[in-house]
Amino acid sequence: MIVGTTAPDFTAGAFIKGETKKISLSDYSNKWVVLFFYSEDFSFV
Amino acid sequence: MAVRYPEFQAINTEILAISVDSVYSHKVWNEIELTKMVKGGIPYPMLTDVAGNIAKMYDVYDPNLGKSLRATFIIGPEGYIYGMENLTPPVGRNPSEILRQVQAFQNYAATKQLAPCEWHPGDKTLVRDAADVGKVWEKWRLM
Repeated sequence: MIVGTTAPDFTAGAFIKGETKKISLSDYSNKWVVLFFYSEDFSFV
Repeated sequence: MAVRYPEFQAINTEILAISVDSVYSHKVWNEIELTKMVKGGIPYPMLTDVAGNIAKMYDVYDPNLGKSLRATFIIGPEGYIYGMENLTPPVGRNPSEILRQVQAFQNYAATKQLAPCEWHPGDKTLVRDAADVGKVWEKWRLM
């Protein structure tokens, strides 16, 4: 159960505004973050 | 979420979207479809979760699908996970509710005030006080 604990840091490739770059959760350590997982691109909902 | 992004930015909140798809898939989906739904396409990063490793770290990976479920995490600046929601594929998220929860948790982080059911910014909050145990109903009646 992960709620109420520290969010695991990670680094991932990302597409943002036309370019690709590496992003880490720790890049946002001075902000609140909504991290949302979704199952797949081209999905219906 | 993209349409409501400015409201999240206004409260110092970044949005990160993540699925097992490659960045090339994110790019093409954005160009072919998402730019037709949101002006300028998706304004926040779309991450690629290779092998679902990050979803596994967050315990939202479905090994039968080989993908993550529809999970949303609210994470504070110190890295604390304040809350999450996890839905199966048929039903989409409610960005208004996510925004409301972020506002409620931010208010708590700043003031230690508790947010009752259906709280919205500006509504009354509660202070945790042992003297109120069994008497919270009196405060509700006054609200």
